[in-house]
Formats: sequence, structure tokens, C-alpha cells
Amino acid sequence: MTALASIAITGLGCLSGAGLHVTESLENMFAGIRNPQPPTKFTTDHPVASLVLELGEGLKLPLDEQESRYSRTCQLALVAALQAITDAGWDAESLRGKRVGVCIGTTVGCALNCDEFYRAYKGDDTPDMGIMERFLRSNPADVVARHLKLDGPTQTVVNACSSGTDAIGIGAAWLRAGACDIVIAGGADELLRLTYSGFSSLMITAPEPCKPFDLHRKGLNLGEGAGMVILESESLSRDKPKKSFLQGYGSACDAYHLTAPHPEGEGLKRAIAEALSVADLAPDQIAFVNAHGTGTPDNDRVESRVLSEVFPSVPFSSTKGYTGHTLGAAGGIEAVFTIACLNRGEIPASIGFSTPDPELPVTPVRGPTPIRGDFALSESLAFGGNNSVVIFAKGDA
Amino acid sequence: MSVKEKLKQVLIEDLNLEDVEPDEITDDMALFGEGLGLDSLDAVELVIIVQKHFGVEIKDMVESRPIFESINTLAAYIEANQP
Amino acid sequence: MRMAIQGVGVTGGFGCGVDALTSALHRGEPIVGEVDGVPAYQAAIEGLGDFVPKRALRRIDHFSKMTLFGAFMALKDTGLSDVDRSRMGVVIATGYGTLQTTFKFLDSYLDFGYACSSPTHFSNSVHNAAAAHVSMQMQATAPSLTVTQFEMSVSSALLSAQQWLAEGRVDQVLFGAVDESCEVLRYCRKEFFGDGEQGPLRPANFSEQSAIAGEGAAFFVLAAETQPAAYGYIDEVILGNHATCPVKLPISDELIVGADGHQACGQWYQEALKGREFAAYAPFYGSFPAAAGFDLAVAAVSLRDQTLYTSPGADAGGRLLPRKLDQQGLTCLKFGGGGEYGLIRCSS
Repeated sequence: MTALASIAITGLGCLSGAGLHVTESLENMFAGIRNPQPPTKFTTDHPVASLVLELGEGLKLPLDEQESRYSRTCQLALVAALQAITDAGWDAESLRGKRVGVCIGTTVGCALNCDEFYRAYKGDDTPDMGIMERFLRSNPADVVARHLKLDGPTQTVVNACSSGTDAIGIGAAWLRAGACDIVIAGGADELLRLTYSGFSSLMITAPEPCKPFDLHRKGLNLGEGAGMVILESESLSRDKPKKSFLQGYGSACDAYHLTAPHPEGEGLKRAIAEALSVADLAPDQIAFVNAHGTGTPDNDRVESRVLSEVFPSVPFSSTKGYTGHTLGAAGGIEAVFTIACLNRGEIPASIGFSTPDPELPVTPVRGPTPIRGDFALSESLAFGGNNSVVIFAKGDA
Repeated sequence: MSVKEKLKQVLIEDLNLEDVEPDEITDDMALFGEGLGLDSLDAVELVIIVQKHFGVEIKDMVESRPIFESINTLAAYIEANQP
Repeated sequence: MRMAIQGVGVTGGFGCGVDALTSALHRGEPIVGEVDGVPAYQAAIEGLGDFVPKRALRRIDHFSKMTLFGAFMALKDTGLSDVDRSRMGVVIATGYGTLQTTFKFLDSYLDFGYACSSPTHFSNSVHNAAAAHVSMQMQATAPSLTVTQFEMSVSSALLSAQQWLAEGRVDQVLFGAVDESCEVLRYCRKEFFGDGEQGPLRPANFSEQSAIAGEGAAFFVLAAETQPAAYGYIDEVILGNHATCPVKLPISDELIVGADGHQACGQWYQEALKGREFAAYAPFYGSFPAAAGFDLAVAAVSLRDQTLYTSPGADAGGRLLPRKLDQQGLTCLKFGGGGEYGLIRCSS
């Protein structure tokens, strides 16, 4: 692929188990703080509870008192979007009259998750149609666009765990094509009994704090949250300080198995190569890699192999130990972390890693690590064989 | 019906192996890879099948790998652990 | 950048394949099926066995089967059944995703306890499972994208497919619009709309609820404008919200609207069309979010035949006699309940 124009990023917003905004998240991560625990919002009869990372106390949801009007995922998406909009110096009023697109990745945010409804439907109770009405109101991209009264394209990307990363790459393409002037892009996902049970059934969740890339890794911890960036056209962002630039995006499909990654990471290698060529960069120009690093045996093995091949001496870390795996939100949250760490010149410890696995040719950083360079790469591997990679450049703010 | 016979029947039903007859699954045939041709997603589904139809729990996929070798090994595990 | 429509593959209430759609357009009369005594459009998947061995289908649900069937028919229609597909992207638009498997997954834990949640059903209930099956069965290793945006799913996904082609990420896009119906959906529709769904579907009666549930898969092989087009071209895809900024309809284009008997969307068509003539074909395939893909398939066939076909159904509102297109453009317009719209401009 030939190089494409980079796109200015003017605002960041995120919330997850690591913190309710960007500053708090970074403080916690650099202090090595994490709070995995058994889920508190729902119960199951699983004999052993796997741990999750829930959002901390103090979360205020922005939409009306009646939380049930929209799904929690939509509310989380809106929190992160509003943070990012403010960070970029916009507000709902000043966005009026602009062509503003919304591109949001999610996994469960649009699934017809309605076990209460369905339990009643199967049994003798009358199902509550309000649950269905909420589902029909709760498309994350649409809710953000409607709440801010935006005029422009909306897209909810459902590429499983690479959704957030893909949404950012797609939003940038819309801007290059002139389909809009601004894009609110990222990911959002809530923690649900449905996904908790699903991931438990795949036997890839851990009953202990997750240990990405460690010899004793037992699986992932689920998490929830949202992460958004504001992408702006050249003409709108010309005189503004930039948080970062989206330099490259690449994506490829393993076409190998529904749930297992390609053993040699073929799709991931292709996605990285595409992102590098779009960014017109060589691997040694990458200062650090934000790995997908879920803590499952398969994912970490494949990722470590690919990293050793493509980026043998580039430091990398996984932030999943702080946030849990937030599925469709992960790409959005980690894009924000990648940009913030690049600008700070330091990455946090890849928490959970202590004992190297002889099967893994490269291992993540053990403690906060200074990094040098102007570019960083974040990767996402998804169910269904999707692999997506974004490259960010250091900002000037 | 013996544990082995029942296993073959539920394997075919729950894993949708419509093109396989129970007699074609021999007791020592490899269930994964060459042999019956099951994969990693079938493996976790098998854990549920064993739990649902025989009330036997399998907790750890890595430690349990030898159990999944064949109908013989799986049936032996079920018989030894049935409530 | 314009996109060339190189091939089409469809399965829906009217039958399967472009020929079935063409003959439905020629006949001009809808054929509605029935499920549980209620009118409904259903999509056939029986022909899928010609493309995929039975063993490979053992874990693949109805939604993914419709998807694969539509996708393989589109490739066949393009003459691309045996080519290297490492630079063919896969883009799928769906309003609801796979409903039946989502409920089967819930069944597994509601019936047997959480410890018996089925990993196979869970994996297949994820929205991008169908796209994954397409990529695997076709060895399409280029990017894959699944989009869900209710009524806007098709236009939104098409906008991203267009950028992939423009940026040279892929040489072709296998683009599909898929939705399925199921018992729970029919129950909900009855709760929401009462007996309004007895048919017939009258798309031009904007103030009346006359929708009938449908399902199906409509696929297209799309390429950059420099490539030959067997049907025509998609010139432009525009999304916006009519309530915020009124839609500008192309003045000289013929219009195919996605009106499908939903009262909530009808008011927007009424407002935007301002009495302008239009065609609507929902009575051939029914009401479902991804039906916008079928409107596009009709547009493709119409461009190929240079004919705007008669809108089916009994209502006279938007009824047109078949007429020559004479190199005129065709625009597909779809509204969602909140005034959001997608415009897909096509031409020869």
C-alpha cells in the first residue's frame, strides 16, 4: 500500500477499570494499581467466579435519571465522547452546522441481550417490552449522534475485539474522503452476564488477576468502559494544538478459525505491514507497542511470536491487567493510552507479568519504562480472525 | 446404554456431526485432528456436553488434555468421576 | 470514488439468485409466504450445498448460511468462483445480527445453568461470526468489517467499503446486507404493531403500519471505478439526519425508497419526498433493516436493464409503470425512525 495522509487527533476521552478519565487512568497505571474482583452487578452459578474489572465509584452517567432508557454501553460511549469533545475544545453548540461523523466499535453494545425478557418469554410471565424498546434505542453511534444533534455519517463497528481500533481507522478514512469534517471515533462496551458466561464457556477467563505474557497465565479478566478520540480535518485543526496524529491503520483477516488465532499470526503480520506502509515507517521507528495481550495462552503466544519477528527490540506492554479485556472498547481505550504514553515518554509496567514463558520469544516491560521516539503502535486481535493495527505520532500539545 | 455408546450419540447430536454414524466412531479413534477431526472449539463444547449429559465436571483444559484423546479415555474419566 | 457493481447474489422472499429477483420485477406482484399463520418473507438456503461441503456447515447457523449463500452467488455471478481472494475485503451490514443463535445461547444457560453455557452458540452469536465464516470459506484474507446501524446499516457500511477501495486496501469488496427473522422477533412485532402486520405491505401509505417481517441476504462484488461493471456504478453514499439538516434529493434521478410499511419511518419519507414520484419494492422481500441492500440489488438490476420496474402492491400512491431509464441516475433513499437517512446514488 502507498502512504496516506495522517489525520490530526485533537481530543481524548476514556474510562475503564483503570480510571474514570485519562489522567486518573495514567496515575493508576504508573502507580501499578489495579482492582480485579468477582462481578458485583450480576450473579451466575459458575462454580468458580472469574475476576472482572468494573468501573470505579463516582461514575456519573450523562443521560436522564432513568438509566434504563439507553443501554449502559451507550451511556459509557457518551461519557468518553463528551470528555474527548471537551478536550478538543468543542462543545455541542460549536459542533452544530459541522459535518460530524460518529464511528464506534462495540461487541455487546448492540447484541440483543435481553435475558430478563427472554426468560419471561420462555416461561409464563409477560415479557417487558420496555427491554426491547431500549434495545431499539441503543445503537451506540446513533445515541451519541442524536444526543449531540449531529449531522453526518454514523457507524457502529462490530468486529468483536478489534472493533474500537477499526472504528478509528475507518473514521480517518471518512475524513480523507471528505465525508465529514470531524469524527468521534473509538469503542464502548459494558460488562454483561451474557459475555461473562460466553467467555467462561470458552474457558479463557481467569479466577485470578490476569497475567498477560506470563508463564502462569490462565486467561483474561473481562472489563468495561469506553475510549474515544476526536479526529479533525486539516482545515479545522490547522491552528489547534494536536494531541497526536493517526499515522497508519492496517487490518487483515486470518481466515483460519472462528475462535483461535492463526498459529503463526499471519493476519497480524499483514495488518502490521499495512499500517507501517500506510504510515511510511520502518519497524525500528516505532518507540513502543501496545500489545493486545489478553492473558490467554493462545493470544499471548501468537502475539509474542509476531512481535519477536517484526519488532525484536521494541519495548511492549499490555494494559489489560489494569482495564481487563473491554472487548469492543479495548481498541478505543488503548488508543488513548498509547497516545498519552507516547506524549509522556514513558509506558507503565505490563502488570501481571513476572515469570517468562520459555515458549514466548519476547516478553513485556516489567516496570515503568522510558521510551524514545515519535511513533507508537497499538494492536488488536479479534474473534473471527480480525487483526487491526493503528500507529500514532507524538502530539505537539 | 453404555457410557461409550451414549457418548458417541451425544457427540454426533451436540456437535452436529450429521455425516457420521455412531459405529464409525471407534473407541480408540483420535477425537481431535486426524481421526474424528474435532477442533479447539469442539473441545470446550465437549466440556459442556460431559457436564450436561453425565454430570461430570472438567475444570482445566491443559491438565485435561489426556482425557480428550479418545472415546476410551473420555468414558474412563466419566465413569471414574460420575456422581 | 465511484464503485463498479460487478456481481450480485441474493436470497430473499422472492427466491434466490438475480434471475429470481429479475422475474419478480417483471411479474410485478409480490408472493408473500406465511409463518405460524402470519404473513412473512423467508429466505431459502438449500442451494448452499453446491458451494460448501456439508461438514464445513455443521457449526454454521441460519444467519451465516444465508450470508454464505448470498456471497457465493455474488462471486459466481461475477465469474470469480476460482480466483485468489487475498485482496478481497468482506463487508457485512446487519440490523440485528444473528437472532436465532443469540437466543439459543441464552437457552443453553437458562435451561441448564450458567456452567452449561454453550461456547459454540456464544461464538456464533457474535455479530461478526458470519463475516468470519465468509472469510474462512473463501480464504478472503483482506480486511473484514461488520457494521450494525439498524436502518442505516447498509449505507453506513457501504461508505466504509468505498474508502477501502479508494485507499487501495483491497481490490474488491464482497459486500453483503443480511438480517434474519425468528419467533421472538415475530412476537415483538405483534406486541408493537398488533394486527397491523396481516398484509398486504403498502410502502406508499406512509401514515399506516403495514410492514411484514422479512429476511435475506443481498451481496455485491464491488470494485474501483476503473474496473468493468456488469450492472452499473455506485457514485456516492451520503448519510445524515433529516431532522438536523434536511436531505437534498438529487433532482434528476429516479428514486427507489426503502419505505417498508413502518409508520415511524413513513413520516420522514413523506416529508422528504414532498410529493415526488418514487418506486418501492419492499413487497418483494419484506421489512427488515438490511432490506436497503435489496433496494440496491433492484437498483443494480434496473441499471443493467435500463428499466425502472413497476412498484409492486396494491396501493397507487407511488405506483409507476415500467419505464426506460435512458442513462438516468437512480438514487436509493432509506430513513430510520429518528430522521437519520442514507442516500446511495447509482448510475450506468
